Amino acid sequence: MHQEAAIREPLVLGEKTYGQITDDVLAPVVGKASRSWWIVFGISLVMALWGIGCILHLLGTGIGTWGLNKTVGWAWDITNFVWWVGIGHAGTLISAVLLLFRQKWRMAINRSAEAMTIFAVMMAAVWPAIHMGRIWLAYFVFPLPNQFGSLWVNFNSPLLWDVFAISTYFSVSLVFWYIGLIPDFATIRDKVTQAVPKKIYSLLSFGWTGNAKAWNRFEEISLVLAGLATPLVFSVHSIVSMDFATSVIPGWHTTIFPPYFVSGAVFSGFAMVLTLLIIMRKVMNLESYITIKHIEYMNIVIIVTGSIVGVAYLTELFISWYSGVEYESYAFINRATGPYWWAYWAMMTCNVISPQVFWFKKLRTNIMFTFFMSIVVNIGMWFERFVIIVTSLHRDYLPSSWTMFHPTYVDIGCFIGTIGIFFVLFLLFARFFPVLPLNELKTILKSSGEQYKKIDE
Amino acid sequence: MSNETKYWKGAEELNDSPSFQRIKNKEFSEYIPVEDFVGDENIVADSKTSRRDFLKYLGFGVTAASLAACETPVNKVIPYVVKNDKINPGIANYFASTFSDGSDYCEIVVKTREGRPIRIDSNIKSPFTLGGINSRINSSLLSLYDGQRYKAPMIDGADSDWFTFNSGVKKAIEAAISNGGKVRFLTNSITSPSTLKIVNDFIASQADADIKHICYDPVSFSGTLEANQESFGKAALPNYHLNKAKAIVSVGADFIGNFPSAARLSSQYAEGRNPEKAWMSKHFQFESSMSLTGSNADVRVPIKLSEHGKVLVALYNQVASMLGASQLSSAKTAYDEKINSAAKALVKAKGASVVIAAANDKNLQLIVNGINQLLGNYNNTIDINKAINLRKGQDAEVATLVSEMKAGSVDVLVVSGVNPAYSLPAEMGFESAMEKVKTSVVFALRPNATSAKAKYVGAETHFLESWDDHNPVEGHYALSQPTINPLFDTMQFQDCLLKWTGEDRKYYYILKENWENTAFANQSEYILFEDYWNTCLQSGFETMNVGNEESVVEFAASLAAPTSAINATKGSDWEIEFYQKIGIGVGNQSHNPLLQELPDPITKMTWDNYLTMNPNDAKENGFATEYGEQKNADTVNLSINGQEFKNVPVIAQPGQARGTLGVALGYGQSIGKENQIVGINFYPAYNGLKNYSTSVSFESTGEDYQVATTQTHQTVMGRTSVIRETDLNTFKNAEKDDYNPAHVLATHHGPKDVSEIDLWAKHPVKGAGHHWGMSIDLNSCTGCSTCITACNIENNVPIVGKDEVRRSREMHWIRIDRYFSSNPVDVAEKNYTAMETPEDNPMVVHQPMMCQHCNHAPCETVCPVAATTHSNEGLNQMTYNRCIGTRYCANNCPYKVRRFNWFSYQNYSKFSALNPAQDDLGRMVLNPDVTVRARGVMEKCSMCVQMIQETKLTAKKEGRSVIDEEAKTACSSACPTNAIQFGDLNDSKSVVAERSTSNRAYRVIEEVGAQANVYYQVKVRNTENKA
Amino acid sequence: MANKIIYATYDDDMVLLEGAKKLVAKGIHINDVFSPFPIHGIDPVIGIKQTRLAICGFIYGLIGLSLALYGMYYFMIYDWPMNIGGKPIDYFYQNIPAFVPISFEFTVLLAAHGMALTYFIRNWTLPGIKARNPYPYTTNDKFVMEIHPEDSDVSIEELTKQLNETGSIKVEER
Repeated sequence: MHQEAAIREPLVLGEKTYGQITDDVLAPVVGKASRSWWIVFGISLVMALWGIGCILHLLGTGIGTWGLNKTVGWAWDITNFVWWVGIGHAGTLISAVLLLFRQKWRMAINRSAEAMTIFAVMMAAVWPAIHMGRIWLAYFVFPLPNQFGSLWVNFNSPLLWDVFAISTYFSVSLVFWYIGLIPDFATIRDKVTQAVPKKIYSLLSFGWTGNAKAWNRFEEISLVLAGLATPLVFSVHSIVSMDFATSVIPGWHTTIFPPYFVSGAVFSGFAMVLTLLIIMRKVMNLESYITIKHIEYMNIVIIVTGSIVGVAYLTELFISWYSGVEYESYAFINRATGPYWWAYWAMMTCNVISPQVFWFKKLRTNIMFTFFMSIVVNIGMWFERFVIIVTSLHRDYLPSSWTMFHPTYVDIGCFIGTIGIFFVLFLLFARFFPVLPLNELKTILKSSGEQYKKIDE
Repeated sequence: MSNETKYWKGAEELNDSPSFQRIKNKEFSEYIPVEDFVGDENIVADSKTSRRDFLKYLGFGVTAASLAACETPVNKVIPYVVKNDKINPGIANYFASTFSDGSDYCEIVVKTREGRPIRIDSNIKSPFTLGGINSRINSSLLSLYDGQRYKAPMIDGADSDWFTFNSGVKKAIEAAISNGGKVRFLTNSITSPSTLKIVNDFIASQADADIKHICYDPVSFSGTLEANQESFGKAALPNYHLNKAKAIVSVGADFIGNFPSAARLSSQYAEGRNPEKAWMSKHFQFESSMSLTGSNADVRVPIKLSEHGKVLVALYNQVASMLGASQLSSAKTAYDEKINSAAKALVKAKGASVVIAAANDKNLQLIVNGINQLLGNYNNTIDINKAINLRKGQDAEVATLVSEMKAGSVDVLVVSGVNPAYSLPAEMGFESAMEKVKTSVVFALRPNATSAKAKYVGAETHFLESWDDHNPVEGHYALSQPTINPLFDTMQFQDCLLKWTGEDRKYYYILKENWENTAFANQSEYILFEDYWNTCLQSGFETMNVGNEESVVEFAASLAAPTSAINATKGSDWEIEFYQKIGIGVGNQSHNPLLQELPDPITKMTWDNYLTMNPNDAKENGFATEYGEQKNADTVNLSINGQEFKNVPVIAQPGQARGTLGVALGYGQSIGKENQIVGINFYPAYNGLKNYSTSVSFESTGEDYQVATTQTHQTVMGRTSVIRETDLNTFKNAEKDDYNPAHVLATHHGPKDVSEIDLWAKHPVKGAGHHWGMSIDLNSCTGCSTCITACNIENNVPIVGKDEVRRSREMHWIRIDRYFSSNPVDVAEKNYTAMETPEDNPMVVHQPMMCQHCNHAPCETVCPVAATTHSNEGLNQMTYNRCIGTRYCANNCPYKVRRFNWFSYQNYSKFSALNPAQDDLGRMVLNPDVTVRARGVMEKCSMCVQMIQETKLTAKKEGRSVIDEEAKTACSSACPTNAIQFGDLNDSKSVVAERSTSNRAYRVIEEVGAQANVYYQVKVRNTENKA
Repeated sequence: MANKIIYATYDDDMVLLEGAKKLVAKGIHINDVFSPFPIHGIDPVIGIKQTRLAICGFIYGLIGLSLALYGMYYFMIYDWPMNIGGKPIDYFYQNIPAFVPISFEFTVLLAAHGMALTYFIRNWTLPGIKARNPYPYTTNDKFVMEIHPEDSDVSIEELTKQLNETGSIKVEER
């Protein structure tokens, strides 16, 4: 069987057997929820309810309850949309791309990363929906046969491309994730003793038996889905970026947007994964599965993507000057020195400057610092989208229409709400789902498990 | 329902016969034998219907009923009992009529649909008003449907009926006459000869009684009247012909915005501003706060208010010296070289020049007359023979009246068309004086300060409900005719007057009779009076040569006294001007939300009046100079002529002369259902009806105040493809590329004009059929904003109120971008931060901006549901019911002309106080051809597609093609200066096609490649050096 | 006699793999293997052919692509062409660039979901289906071999002996 070089650090620490892995991972599922879990859950629930309240108010009264105006037609809504979609990129990237590259260290994190993806994309999908003036007609965006006869949608519109991209991405990630979950549900099914959970889990496990042929198919489909998901990951944020890139607004109309957005997405996605895992490994004592090594690997990804993003920012600036276009150059001068300068510099510091400290091994292997940085990066990425959307819109071609955007409590409430819902979902996941892919972990136990490495030496 | 409009259900209810009374209160109109059926046992016993059956029927009945209920209920339908053959559903009727409220005068055409007036246009045929109209006039439509109107006469604050009312007043008058008391009629400047005839006949009939009729103008020109009395022995306003004037010097006169017959003056003015013609007028403006006129001047000189006279004297002397006439004694002014160039221009255009001043001050006006006399302008550009009959108010007479009232010697006071209790300065104490009047009779449309104090309140008919005639200028007569039955139990002043004078005929007959005896007698064309009358009614006016023709006026007035008086005037550190805004004017319609929401053409502020101040003065006093959603204005406590005004917001106004202030009159009256007060009333300090005061002081309150502006950024940031302007010399002598260069881009075929570069092949429908387009001349656009209100009314544009405007959410489909010039040096150096602040005395550009209907519209390609697409006639069309409101189109619009329905303006409580669509009466103003947009839907200028379709259909019915300038939009037909031209670009002979290919034609930000269908004409200033 | 089935439990995947090899060498046919995770290399030993899921996936993808392209042609060019921002509406090829994103997304959508569906059906893993693994622990940490003696004519005793030799910790017949 495949042997791994001894110099590679083990990905599974301590003396573990297959059985122990099962027990460790299923501990929260079979056992009782910890106090800290309840506290975090409570807070998130409150946030979620508050947000839902705001959203209902919005839907009942009108988009006017947000701070938008005649010039700034999108602000926090689409900012949050892009932010969440971006976050939603890490999961599939980890499980798909890293699977293709046979990166074993993914196995500790891909399950929860994918879960995060699913929930993040859900939260992302909320925004395009509620930002519509007439959400009750949302079905208009699908090319459905209708009593008006030949009334179809406009396939030239990037917004329509979004509809397809997001729905495809969401459903495919969901399937990918669930197919991976099935064998582990089976494990739980056969492990739990109480009647009701057994019933539920056996339902969830689709009656998985784990015979050789099934495993054979399992590995095949995982591989092919990974192969499909990989271009999907890149396409989705490229298409999101086309909402802006294909427009005529200075600061939006930029050809480097697709790669720039994708790397930004991975950047923020990994940051969010870190935020979640660092808490999870502590709360659910999975330190021996989610090791410093994993965290370090992710920090390296963050340096790389962060730097790509930085290069993109600079390229934009250069091109705006080099193009010699009045509006283009003003758009960027205005970003850096205009009324929203603080947003621009917040973005610059958080996304370009701060990640560079990860060049120091000492810092990128420091849990607390990494946690702090992961938060910083997510703030930075939110500001990136805010800067792109609002500061480009608020001063475009005709100075007579220049305005400012001021968020209302509804803007803020809806945003906080999505964060709340996201955490509620994730906590439920951590409580009732196997947060690590048992079947995959077991395959690498012998190749990357600590005690086996000792034996080899 | 917010008002008591009564809709009767049928003829029975209308004439309310006793039989109907009896039936009405019964549940069933005829007898139903329930009792003697159920009551009788044996019927019930041997009835075949078992309980089972009964339940069956019951069940069926219920189901049937509920099924029947599954239909959208019809709320209110009032069909014609007998169809009126003049009124065809869906077909508009037009009536010629006339608007005259004492301060504005205009001959109009009223569009009615299903019997209700829905739009007011100018009567383009009128030789007097020349198709000029302004926003106050076309918005006056809304006051017809004002829910706050008086719905019946009132006596001592209680509802009454006209019989009691008239008999009461009649008795009072008779009593007054019998015991020798005074009877006074206080009205606005009545332009109606017939009305005057009634009044004068009545006065004449009571020779021994003391009855007087006094005209009163809130903002009066009695200074001018006196001056002309002294100069020419004729107390009348001169009739200007600005279209003949090669040089115009105005000292503080806002003759485009607020002046007797301003609308017609602006169309004359524009005629002389066309650079393509042989000559273009040169316009000097000496003024203090920037007026609309000043914003259009070639040379604008900010001066202190106390110096207007001195400037005129200096001007007189300069002109005199050039013409070798005797000079007046005068002190030097700071502006002598500017005055000198003005004088040069005047003398150069001797006999074809005009000097105008607005100051209500005899002395100044005498000097003005002197200058015009020197230049020989009379009978050329100024006509005093055929004088203007507007603003006939004599301040002295009003003063006497008030003193008489104070003395308690006035028994009966009849007020009509004016609101003196509101608009007379506090020092005169009209309100207290009114209490001393035994019987006060006030005619008013809606409650106001004067009617509140009156014993008798006459519910006046709206001018669209009444008959009248007008004589605005000697030799020209016009008619007003009702376009709808009185909505309420109202009577017009004249009818009541007739009742009091014992005349039992209605005013209409007197009017006709009067015309028969005068006008009809004067002409020879018609034999039958009815024919003549009908033609007059149809055309709306009649011109005839009466009065002395071209008799040379004798200028007999010594200028020595006035000069010394002027030289004696003292200025002070702060001087304050009382000016009028374009929307509100003297305040006759300050209750009209359309006008309140109309942005001021200069400050772009809505829903408020305020203290204007030079930005530098503001900075020195530590007041904010930028305003927006979160940038509030600072407030001061202001004291003018001893009157205190608390918390007056301060607005920094570039171009305001240093050391001068300005406040707008006409505000501070209640508006809307909730009767909130908008703005502050400065009339109390309007002492002596003088246009300025030197006794003014202010102190900062340290508090701030939310202001609603539609434009938060003042300068064009040196973007030459947005605004293009040049000076006359360059335009005349240089090449097109020097002042209107084409956008050239490098392609692989070498440099190419942007308009030729195209991603795709030409669209199949291009060049076929109609291609609607627009041309807007920045030279003739004065920024008067008439188009905005016209558009609002035609397209049912919602009124959103101050708070929403403050959040930059006004819904106007057409806006007028006003740009102040910033310092040229900064522009050259691209010093953006510095460019944001306008110059101290900036040049101004007014640029109407609406949907540009781009052929390659960025908004269309991004709509996911194809709710906005391009028509075969080049229109960018919105499909409201397909729109889901993503606002992507608005974001992607380079012109930012799309408007989103943030709320349901016709339902949401926030707007119930001001949105006409929220009350049954106000709803009648809505144009049935235009959808009222739902919440969450994007909307924008449609180039009045409903009007285009109508024109095309008429043409089709008549089996011809559409004639040029036949198809119009609301804005193009409202524009008093024809700056906005609409037409078919495919028709090579059309005006738009011509203009679109002229040297001055350019498209805003053409380099974006949207290929707009709206062409602008480069602004040409008549200045020496290149602007 | 009824068809007996032998279940041999192992506690290590390697041991099972080696054992399987030996047994197959002896000509014993191993019907199936249940394990908590895929045992790499077991398929050829017990004669399981490589699945053809990927090929289905490819076909679904093709279907998706052609559907998307035809749909957009039908909606935008054929059924109701509209002048949208002056973009060409008369020929399909002129519009291809705008159709690329959706064509791709739709391809992936159908490929992925089609495959997943096939996978569930072929595995017969669908909601509410009963699990058929012999012992619960096969999903945890044990590995089980399923042998039908009559397939390879060997007596149960003989088979049990051989299984125990391969290090099976428990042999049970049902």
